[in-house]
Amino acid sequence: MIDFSLTDEQKQLQQLARDFARKEIIPVAAEYDQKEELPWPVVEKAFEVGLLNVAIPEHAGGLGLGMVDECLIGEELAYGCMGIYTVLMASELGITPILVGGTEEQQKRFLTPMTEKPSLAAFALSEPNNGSDAAGMHTTAVLDGDEWVINGTKMWISNGGVADLTVVFATTDRQGGHRATVALVVPKDTPGLSYNKIKHKLGQRASLTSELVFENVRVPRANQLGGLGDGFKIAMKTLDKTRIPVAAGSVGIARRALDESVKYAKEREAFGKPIAQFQAIQFKLAQMAMGIETGRLMYLKAAWLVDQNLPHGMESAIAKAYCSDMAFDAANEAIQVHGGYGYVGEYPVEKLLRDVKLNQIYEGTNEIQRVVISRNLLK
Amino acid sequence: MKILTLVRQVPDAEARVKISGGQVDLEGATLVMDGMDEYGVEEALRLREGGAAVEEIVALATGPKRVEDALRTALAMGVDRAIHVETDQALDPIALSRVVAQVAQAEGVSLILVGGQEADWDSQALGAATAERLGWPQLTWTNELALEGDTLTGRHDVDDGNESFRVPLPAVVTTQQGLNEPRYPTLPNIMKAKKKELRKDTLDAYGAAPTVRVVGSDIQTRARLNKMIDGKDPQAAAAELLDLLRNEAKVIA
Repeated sequence: MIDFSLTDEQKQLQQLARDFARKEIIPVAAEYDQKEELPWPVVEKAFEVGLLNVAIPEHAGGLGLGMVDECLIGEELAYGCMGIYTVLMASELGITPILVGGTEEQQKRFLTPMTEKPSLAAFALSEPNNGSDAAGMHTTAVLDGDEWVINGTKMWISNGGVADLTVVFATTDRQGGHRATVALVVPKDTPGLSYNKIKHKLGQRASLTSELVFENVRVPRANQLGGLGDGFKIAMKTLDKTRIPVAAGSVGIARRALDESVKYAKEREAFGKPIAQFQAIQFKLAQMAMGIETGRLMYLKAAWLVDQNLPHGMESAIAKAYCSDMAFDAANEAIQVHGGYGYVGEYPVEKLLRDVKLNQIYEGTNEIQRVVISRNLLK
Repeated sequence: MKILTLVRQVPDAEARVKISGGQVDLEGATLVMDGMDEYGVEEALRLREGGAAVEEIVALATGPKRVEDALRTALAMGVDRAIHVETDQALDPIALSRVVAQVAQAEGVSLILVGGQEADWDSQALGAATAERLGWPQLTWTNELALEGDTLTGRHDVDDGNESFRVPLPAVVTTQQGLNEPRYPTLPNIMKAKKKELRKDTLDAYGAAPTVRVVGSDIQTRARLNKMIDGKDPQAAAAELLDLLRNEAKVIA
């Protein structure tokens, strides 16, 4: 009944992603982290080998990969650098509302151009004063003839401002709650759309995070996904899926933390022997391995449910919260294994901790994940 | 013309190899297409992309079921179809050359590309043995190839430098690092490769029983000198390092 084996294609795309992380991401990760710069050359290479925007369906000219496929890729890329993976992951996040709420015509219109050149998408839900309580958004959309006019500010938007298209969620009536929300696709360079880069982030500095400002931004009504009032639902359905790659990326970070720790523990000597021979160190390594194995099972289960078109909200919440908490602990312990050297940039483990902290926050904080889980228990 | 490119599967260069029961234990090791053979696959694709009249590129592998993975990588890189002679017997290069030569004849290929050596069996004999069986010329350790009609030109390494050559096909060519930079099997091509033919064959048809049997294996361990240079005076440290590299390690002139 249960089969843990990957298909031949999955083994190959996993290998491709692993090679890509080793050759294209790891060598430049520290540099882009220091420069706080989005690595366009890496995005271009990812596009060339087909690792960018893999969820675009076949009818729109894409590969139409499933969630298991996407997560296998995500674990490998995040092993190289979570910040760089976030650029790609956030683009899939920007595409997903169009898959969830868009018509086939809209999918072709918006997504086919993205298969033709390296391009990113973005997802704009959070606001300066509004994150977890998404339905209480302040950004407004007002219908003027056949156009929506958008006003407001969105916050913490990955790829914000450089994305070829941004799906923005707005309200048509601030008193209307989630029933008044609408999802709109805004192309890059639409007049009135501007962005400010958010600087000095703790980690994931290779990923661009922006404040997006909408000042009388007009988009045709044909850019509306789903019906009036469907915005919140589309956003939640999107996040139910896209938080699974966050879990997979977290497992990638934890695996990197373990590999670096094993390597260092075998090299570093104390009291006349390698520190790997002390149980205090061995138990840390064992703990990391336990987290990685169980985390991977959970993200694969959640991803499998998505691919089977089965309900997956609770499982994706468990995977996201579990894996990111687990990976945070793994990165933290990796620094401990490295001692003072782990605290400085000479070894990659301090970056793992800085990067993984965000996995506990974005795409729904781990507290919100627990709300989702407990609601499922008590409904 | 058709090109036959041989694909072997070996442990990843970063894999840690274990020995159990006198044999290399591959359990848990990541296995990949041999890098040397990958240059051959890449070169076959480049010859075709460069405008040579290559009607088909066929990849061949022998070995257990898992070797399919390496063949699928070749298919995903762009090879047209693959043949897997499935066997659990380990073939020595002379036995393997019997299979390669017969497949080459049956398929009517006029160019065979094989890695100059194999990461886990360093005999360097396969290309030569195959050429001998077929009575074809062989060009070893190539680092440049071009096809014009039925003539192959290129350069290859010899002991103290390299030579340029010109040879009418058919021929056997061995490949090595420096010949090209192999491409990634891109995701779209991985998906397309699903539909390509991977034909299974059995070893009995080839009369290629190996006569060499591996009875024991050891991992080479190197003692390190762990020589430390005091870096307080950078100029003196650099001078000492140069002296050690020149006179002790003898890696620079």
